[in-house]
Amino acid sequence: MNDKRVRALLPIVLAIAGGILLFNLIAFAFGEAPASALRVAFEGTWGTPYGFGQVLFKATPLLFTGLAFEVALRAGLFNIGAEGQLALASLVGALVAANLPASLPMPIALPIVLAVAAAVGALVAFVPAILRARRGVHEIITAIMVNRIVDAILPWTFSTVLGSTSLRTADIAPGAALPRLDRVVPSFAGSAASFAFPLAVVIVFAAMSLLDRTRPGREIRWVGLRPEACRAEGIDVERRMLLAMLLSGALAALAVSSTALGYKGYYELGLGAGAGWSGIAVAMLGRGKAIGIVLAAIFLGTLEQAGLAVNARVPKEAMDVLEATLIVLVAVASRVASKRTGVVQAADPEPEPPRDNPAPTPASEEARS
Amino acid sequence: MRGPVMKIEDIAVRYGDCWSIRSATITLEPGVIHAILGENGAGKSTLLKAAVGFAPRVAGTVRIEGGAGAIGMVHQHFMLVSAFTALENLVLGNEPTGSFGRLDLAKARREAEALMEKTGLRVNLDARTSELAVGERQRLEILRVLYRGARAILLDEPTAVLSPLEAEELYTTLGVLAEGGATIAVVTHRMDEVIRFAGHVTIMRRGRTVLSRPIAAEERSDPKRLEDVLTRAIMGGEPPPETSPPALAQDAKVALSIEDLVLVDAGGKRVLDGLSLTVKKGEIVGIAGIEGNGQRELVRAAAGLEPGVAGSIVLDGARLPAVRSTEDLRKRRRAIAVVHEDRHADGLMLDASVGDNLVLGELGEIDGPGAEAALITRRIERFGVYPPEPARRAGELSGGNQQKVVVGRALDRIEASPERALVVLGQPTRGVDVGAASTIHGAIVKAAEKGLAVLVVSADLGELRRLSHRILVIHRGRIVAELPPTTSDDVIGRAMLGMEDA
Repeated sequence: MNDKRVRALLPIVLAIAGGILLFNLIAFAFGEAPASALRVAFEGTWGTPYGFGQVLFKATPLLFTGLAFEVALRAGLFNIGAEGQLALASLVGALVAANLPASLPMPIALPIVLAVAAAVGALVAFVPAILRARRGVHEIITAIMVNRIVDAILPWTFSTVLGSTSLRTADIAPGAALPRLDRVVPSFAGSAASFAFPLAVVIVFAAMSLLDRTRPGREIRWVGLRPEACRAEGIDVERRMLLAMLLSGALAALAVSSTALGYKGYYELGLGAGAGWSGIAVAMLGRGKAIGIVLAAIFLGTLEQAGLAVNARVPKEAMDVLEATLIVLVAVASRVASKRTGVVQAADPEPEPPRDNPAPTPASEEARS
Repeated sequence: MRGPVMKIEDIAVRYGDCWSIRSATITLEPGVIHAILGENGAGKSTLLKAAVGFAPRVAGTVRIEGGAGAIGMVHQHFMLVSAFTALENLVLGNEPTGSFGRLDLAKARREAEALMEKTGLRVNLDARTSELAVGERQRLEILRVLYRGARAILLDEPTAVLSPLEAEELYTTLGVLAEGGATIAVVTHRMDEVIRFAGHVTIMRRGRTVLSRPIAAEERSDPKRLEDVLTRAIMGGEPPPETSPPALAQDAKVALSIEDLVLVDAGGKRVLDGLSLTVKKGEIVGIAGIEGNGQRELVRAAAGLEPGVAGSIVLDGARLPAVRSTEDLRKRRRAIAVVHEDRHADGLMLDASVGDNLVLGELGEIDGPGAEAALITRRIERFGVYPPEPARRAGELSGGNQQKVVVGRALDRIEASPERALVVLGQPTRGVDVGAASTIHGAIVKAAEKGLAVLVVSADLGELRRLSHRILVIHRGRIVAELPPTTSDDVIGRAMLGMEDA
């Protein structure tokens, strides 16, 4: 068992080692002593409590968007609309949070804001969802268009409806804010990691467990595997697709907890942008497991934070190249890894001593057919 | 054109970690039809592929007189470009060309016609391949192999898609080619073909050749005995008991009555054209017909998956309402269980576990994981699904066991339903070996004994004959004949082709 694990993990370790090598080459090309840039990157992330806090902070929205993409993927759908879902939900959520009475305690205020954000996210996802389920219009195309519409609506709302020149909302009510993690872990001081991180981890594990155990969750997955067979056996394929897509939109919207609620205390244009796209990579690397999603989100969070840490020495663009290359490397490696373990499992029953005069009974023979 | 002698000695073939052939030895000589028999997954098709060099051989030798170029293979799924004319397909890959690589179709035609003249295989060269009948397409495949200069032809289950008459024609042609000195090898599931036409038989079991010998002329005079010998070799033991339909009460009431079913497809073709039939309680009715005459649509219409169907389906005296929502479909499912003919498209989730597949669509009726696990275990045991592991991926099961999952789910569910009335099965044992087929047949008979009306659509006349009380013949979307199961292949075959005197 242990041996299998090692064999499965080896490609991933190799991929990361390759990434570190590449990082050194890039740093060298920009005239840095390779090891020193690496040390800076390490100190900026895992090397110090502050850096580690920042990694968790960067990973938090990716946990939500990664989970969101995974839920839709189970139904065979590509929810690439998380960007728009999160953006509009953040705006509406922050507006609601800003208008709550300041005296409202957190156990009431926070759930209200999160529920509103989730509802808005689901609503934005509803457009591609209903068009796909009822009319068969491809959800990727509609989601891209919805993203563009949201992109256009947001600045317009700020400038015209809200009459704000700074493109930001008012500060949220204190009850709606998520406290920073340094309240309980003082060494995180200064980092933006908030209680949104543990919240996200709990939601990832709870949601994945519900998807695997409950009837709607299992049927969503079955619909994604073979809709024709599900339809023939009386499963409401359209409803399951719709449910998966709405859940996906709502989960993506919850990422607002780590940005507007846990970090800035208000929403400004562009806050949390990019999390929707990175969520796709998180879900792909996570390979359908809760722990996989958490690790993948932390991995991408590390890369993002490392990029910021070495920014003064190596241009940010070089870090973007490294990040994309590493994601591809790890994706390839985890494919190779899962294939290896897959073969090992399939091989278990086979190795059977050659027998030259088998005289099995018909029953056993029949069972093997 | 004397064909080559092919000697295959002690070969082994492995795909990944799975041995397809452990040890196979066979000598194919020109002049007779060699038949290769065996269960699913015994390695028959792989043996042919190894002979032409398509399979990853890890041991053994393949020796072919005159080199491998002299062999051609006709695959189970035809390899023709359907948008091409027959002539274009015939010369595909060996096109005669003029200057600057111009296609010389006139020369191709002359050569093709000479070849058809010589072999007696005729195909309309100008027809679009998609418009050719299945039998014609197969002749085209054989012609193509010959056109390339092959003197040995290997055919993988050539008769699986043919009507009895077409199959007979095929073997006559192959016989003529063999007499002319060609080397012919045919993989088949059908025992009667082997007994009537083959001069040499090889049997494979679990990756080994267990028997390879000529069939003497006097053996043919006692087909029953020969069949018994061959079946024993295939199964590696006693053949399974033959199934027969349960006794049918004289006063059994009509359970299902279908009247004037009409379905027009997207192209305007009437795929069901006024189809009517009745099935009594406890009766098994077989539907025979050449593929594509409305069988698939009939099954789907009964299941409620064809919203555009006109006509009436009356079950236990009550006309079934049209299916407009999933709720309607679930309601219909409480009375009718359906097995669709294409298990990979409509029946199974290959990437889900066996357990999930066994309860697909039933989560609403099962209370709790404990009850679900018990139900799954019961179904696995009752139908002998192997390996008996609910967590195993369905795609890893052999075809026969996948079919047991699909049939088991349908039959076990409907027998427990208080509103049970009808079972409709499309090709319940297609591509399934003798052992699994026998399990499935037993379960179908049991369902009928419990008072369910059973409708079986099958391309296998032997199966219909063993199972049914009556055989109905479907042709161009309507029932054209009702025959007792004792009717000969010839008569059923003529009816399937729509001939009047059936």
